[in-house]
Amino acid sequence: MPGFVRVAGIDDVPMGAFRAVDVGFDRVLIVHTDQGFFAVADECSHDSGVISEGELVGHDVVCPRHGARFDVRTGAVTAPPAVAPIETYEVKVDGNDIFVRLD
Amino acid sequence: MAESIDKQKRDLAALGTDYETKYGFRDPVDYFHKGARGLSHEVVEMISRMKKEPLWMTERRHEALDIFYSKPMPKWGNTGLLGEIDFDNIYYFMKPVEHQGKSWDDVPDYIKKTFDRLGIPEAEKTFLGGVSAQYESEVVYHSLREDLSKQGIIFLDMDAALREHEDLVKKFFGTVVPSADNKFAALNTAAWSGGSFIYVPPGVDVKVPLQAYFRINAENMGQFERTLIIADKGSRVHYIEGCTAPVYSTDSLHAAVVELIALEGSYVRYTTIQNWARNIYNLVTKRSTAHKNATVEWVDGNLGSRLTMKYPCIQLVGEGARGEILSVAFAGQDQHQDAGAKVIHAAPNTSSRITSKSISKDNGRASYRGLAKVHKNAVNVKISVECDALLIGKDARSDTYPTMEIDNEQVRVEHEARVSKVAEEQLFYLTSRGLSQDEARLLIVNGFMEPFTKELPLEYAVELNRLIQLEMEGSIG
Amino acid sequence: MSTVEIQQQRALELPATLGGGPGWLHRIRQSSLAVYNSTPLPRRGLHLWRYTDPSGFVVDDVDPAEIVFGSDQAAIDDEMVGQIAAGHLDGAVVDLGGRRICHHTSQRLAAMGGVVAPLSAALKSHEDLVKKHLYGLVHEQIGVFEALNGALWENGVFVYIPSDTIVDKPIHLRREAGAGRSRQFFRLLVIAGENSDVSIIDEYNGGPDDISKSGYSNSGVEIFAGHGSKIRYVPIGRQASGMTSYLTHRARLGRDAVMQTIPLAFGAALSKQNFGVLLSGPGARSEIYGLVFGSGRQRFDNHTLHHHISGQTGSNIDFKVVLRDRTESAYTGLIRIEQGAPGCEAYQENRNLLLNPGAKVETIPELEILNEDVMCTHGATVGSFDEEMVFYLTSRGLTYSDAVRTIVSGFVASTLKMVPENLHERIGAFVEKRLEGI
Repeated sequence: MPGFVRVAGIDDVPMGAFRAVDVGFDRVLIVHTDQGFFAVADECSHDSGVISEGELVGHDVVCPRHGARFDVRTGAVTAPPAVAPIETYEVKVDGNDIFVRLD
Repeated sequence: MAESIDKQKRDLAALGTDYETKYGFRDPVDYFHKGARGLSHEVVEMISRMKKEPLWMTERRHEALDIFYSKPMPKWGNTGLLGEIDFDNIYYFMKPVEHQGKSWDDVPDYIKKTFDRLGIPEAEKTFLGGVSAQYESEVVYHSLREDLSKQGIIFLDMDAALREHEDLVKKFFGTVVPSADNKFAALNTAAWSGGSFIYVPPGVDVKVPLQAYFRINAENMGQFERTLIIADKGSRVHYIEGCTAPVYSTDSLHAAVVELIALEGSYVRYTTIQNWARNIYNLVTKRSTAHKNATVEWVDGNLGSRLTMKYPCIQLVGEGARGEILSVAFAGQDQHQDAGAKVIHAAPNTSSRITSKSISKDNGRASYRGLAKVHKNAVNVKISVECDALLIGKDARSDTYPTMEIDNEQVRVEHEARVSKVAEEQLFYLTSRGLSQDEARLLIVNGFMEPFTKELPLEYAVELNRLIQLEMEGSIG
Repeated sequence: MSTVEIQQQRALELPATLGGGPGWLHRIRQSSLAVYNSTPLPRRGLHLWRYTDPSGFVVDDVDPAEIVFGSDQAAIDDEMVGQIAAGHLDGAVVDLGGRRICHHTSQRLAAMGGVVAPLSAALKSHEDLVKKHLYGLVHEQIGVFEALNGALWENGVFVYIPSDTIVDKPIHLRREAGAGRSRQFFRLLVIAGENSDVSIIDEYNGGPDDISKSGYSNSGVEIFAGHGSKIRYVPIGRQASGMTSYLTHRARLGRDAVMQTIPLAFGAALSKQNFGVLLSGPGARSEIYGLVFGSGRQRFDNHTLHHHISGQTGSNIDFKVVLRDRTESAYTGLIRIEQGAPGCEAYQENRNLLLNPGAKVETIPELEILNEDVMCTHGATVGSFDEEMVFYLTSRGLTYSDAVRTIVSGFVASTLKMVPENLHERIGAFVEKRLEGI
């Protein structure tokens, strides 16, 4: 798969959890919900800090510092103080591996 | 609506039945007289019940209190002064209507002197001095209210708004400043009381500036004011709060939150002149959201207080939105004005301008802290920031900490700052024309502040000029 | 699910190779290492670290292995010697990984008593001078990574210019980092006597091309400018695209000393530089002309400090950033004027030119002014090139790409003019390379 990078095994990210992975210059959050695997940038659009120290509530990742929330399926903001969406990445699962497409 | 009334009835019925077991006394008024200070979940519950609030607001308060406990104090800013705040030694509960044991003698001399010099009328004096609880302008206020309600404009204090327009409040409360935003926003959300609520219906142009001044009473000039302004599509409104006369209060912590929502095509201007007495810590979170083609203007004047930390913010989230922030700070002896402005561009074709002017005198310290942030999707954005600082006296201090975070190349962002003292040449020019040193300096300072004062309604501008004159003469304090 | 932040305790030990040298040096190394091991990493809240993750600069073990160099040392050496012989340079150093140092001084400079030598040699020949100045400006109290450098530098460069000595041509340092996975610590100590005059070029090259090969360098530069001296310091970053580079520079200017610092940053995957000038005598003057030009995927983080400790001092910063592709630049600049420093003038300008979407800029120019008798301005601009200007040029026959190149060249021209003459061609070539493909 051109452009796709293996970021984790499916056992590394159990249902209802997420995991931050450094891929070269990018830091990606792999999220596992009941709708499957999703990947978003591990960077809150509000203060540019990491989201991975926060928590997952349904389909929203919650940034620990000021409570901003993002829907992992679209990257859209679901709670202030963030006002801009975060980047999402295309995810593919092949066998036991999770792949993410980076530019 | 019906459901919430039922809920309220139930709450009301329950009120008082468990006070004895829960709080150890029979009567909430008892609690008053015990003079209890400090904040806790019990106090928050008490505040909410006394106000007869819907359950969602009570829960919001409790949640915010937990956030307040969990957040550390900020590690930036004047940490020395911030560290002096004693959260446990504050009345969070509504104070008794009459300030007990307060008399005119208790008001500090420098405040009384300022009142005299500014020609403040007697009735206002006692109110501003914190001695009387009510400002005698009920008559004016009532007739204004009638005019407004004919146009469908809602202008109430926050407590009344929550009771009479619950759905509207619920829809917007906390959507611009969430509880977890910062420690003082959390504190405010837990303990808020008073403040203004304004709703302007679509297309309505509010011709007369709405002033908080007219319906002030001790509660509404409170420490934890919560203001919420919603300008619906295409409406226009100008709100003015504060006054130039010094406001004295024994409560030394004021942590207010102002949320302003400008929906599509609307225009909102929010003017503040604040002159808190010198014992007060004034920490305010003021933020607005400007939607498509909307315009928000903050005109912010900061004088007085021991420490003010205030950074009016405009979030431009709709295409074509515009923002303007005009801020002036005067830091006199022992004061720190830590003010600034924040603009966050999250939509294309938006523009904003920040103009900040500060004056530091004696050992005063004026800081500008700003943020200009452009998100990735915000193309074709223009931002200009101008900061001017005037230093008077060898112990004066000025800081400028502007931050620019630009994630998009199709922008024009310009920032410029200048710090200087009163120019020798200018002084010389004026004194050689017969003015005294003091008069010359005052003229220069007035000229420096002119871009700000010209945006104020006349009576405010006049009072502000007089106040600056007093500050420059150093005859206060 | 929330993770608890665990600060990993670092437990580096001083390698045996650094055990030599005088007792005082050894003690400072030990103390610096202790600071590095025990100090928690700076938090994002500190504005110097707001945009760059400090964990990128952490070293977990000391690599005693032999470093492999991609460039041919002999060839560089020959080139330097040739330049001196031809009268283009008055001194040269080829520094491999901060370990192997070849140094050359022109006859002219040697005759005047100027010294360009490895620090290991200077510790013997000029011990008092070195002891008095080394760690005087860049030391463990500045920060974690300065402490790391203070402990682990192996061999640095020492430049001493006696009073009243005017050094005609520049002294050129060529630092090379290892080609594969390697760690190197560079150090420079410059002592310029009263009324001396010297230019020093400090060029950082080498490193792996691939980020996964993780090349790392950490440099500490100290410059003591005596009364009335004139110094020009030109640090050039040309490290390969797999390199992580950290540099802290501090200069102290005495009365009437004048200094020009011209940092040019083109290289490394991640580069963090901290330049500071302390103006501690009336009449002192500092100018910083910086240029960052990024392409591909790079991250630059630069800090400048102009600290006016003494009154009647002046400073000026003109910091330019040009970014293409997906490069990022953070610039924080502080001008601080102390209470006891009247009559100062300080100016600062940061201009950022973004050439395409995907480039990202953060800029925080800061002022802390504690004295009213100042004249101080600063400014920052961020934007792309002016479309109108492009139109003007294309309507006169230039292709779009040529037009953009012309505009960018114009943007950086005034900065490049400040660079010593012998570098003009080379730096011009670096800029040309960066502009390829626009």
